[in-house]
Amino acid sequence: MESTALGLLVLGVLLAEPVSRALAGAHWPARDPVGALLAWQAVGLAGGLALLGSGVVYGLAPLGPSLPVAFRTAVDTLAAGRLPALGVTHVLALLAALALALRLVSVLVAVTVRTLRARQRHRDLLDLLGTPWPAVPGARVLDHPVPVAYCLPGLRSRLVVSAGVLDALDPPAVRAVLAHEQAHLRERHDLVVLPFVAWGATAPFVRGMVCAQVAVAALIEMRADDVAASAVTARQLTGALRTMGGAAPAAALSSFTDALDTRLHRITEPPRPLPLAVQVLVRLAAAGLVGIPTLLLLMP
Amino acid sequence: METLWSAGGPVTARDVQDALAHRELATTTVLTVLGRLERKGLVTREREGRAHRYRAVASREDHVAELMRDALDAAPDRGAALARFLGSIPEDERAKLRDLLD
Repeated sequence: MESTALGLLVLGVLLAEPVSRALAGAHWPARDPVGALLAWQAVGLAGGLALLGSGVVYGLAPLGPSLPVAFRTAVDTLAAGRLPALGVTHVLALLAALALALRLVSVLVAVTVRTLRARQRHRDLLDLLGTPWPAVPGARVLDHPVPVAYCLPGLRSRLVVSAGVLDALDPPAVRAVLAHEQAHLRERHDLVVLPFVAWGATAPFVRGMVCAQVAVAALIEMRADDVAASAVTARQLTGALRTMGGAAPAAALSSFTDALDTRLHRITEPPRPLPLAVQVLVRLAAAGLVGIPTLLLLMP
Repeated sequence: METLWSAGGPVTARDVQDALAHRELATTTVLTVLGRLERKGLVTREREGRAHRYRAVASREDHVAELMRDALDAAPDRGAALARFLGSIPEDERAKLRDLLD
């Protein structure tokens, strides 16, 4: 069991740091955003399982040859009213795993509650202040000259464009903007991002976690651009991005214009999609990655 | 809410009902709606004699500005409360953006 625990620990650390950094710096995700998002989910899930699992496996090691057996022994001993015979280091490992789990869950709950509250407040105000836009069902217009378009995810989602957008763009370009936002809503990109926000907030000092958060945020934008570009023409989408980007107050920020240029370039000259075989391989690798710690934990 | 915004000062439920006379609303309906707006923090009320007087907490423009600030400030570290068309802005640059907006 000790070697299993060590293996899980090494796997967890590898995934949290070098693997996350490598994936964040790789070029292929732009050629297959969906596959890359699946890979990220797998890295996050497998990394969490491995790190938490290594503590539990090491902590319960003296009680049996495998985690299921050791776990049963621990439960039986506790049920009999006795404390399992564990050394100090084993108890410490269990406590560390427990602390990490608690921290992760509490951060996730806190982020979720804060997000839901902010959304609720935003939605209430929107429903009061926004004018329904007849051209697109479900879209609302906010009377403000600064061009901004966004969506409010959730079960009762909202699509919002400001009056500034309608002034700056012609109807096909507005449709391109809305197609992009609708892709976010339909594919629930907010839920895709959420675990990485939680990991990033749990361990902001781990560079790999922060890289993951940024990379995932960029990937959902690529994915939404891909969906929008297939719903309208690439030219309409880039036209909308250029006009909005030039008129937005953030255009004065260099990081913003750089990010915009990268996005425009990706739409006008889309990188070749990954060969089908490689795409299948990416998905299999993602599934396998989650499978490794699961097997290590459950192996009899 | 429109009625409260255009009233300019505190009004009673009765005033709201009169202002919306063409909708033929029951007093209880008006009170229910006002109660709901109060719970959402959009309206405050103060007691005056036997009736309550209701007042909008902020003007229409203030609320629109609040929504726009939310939208332009949207960043991934806030749990993706919104997804903005032009992407989110890194923490260190958002202060600069806020200055530009004011």
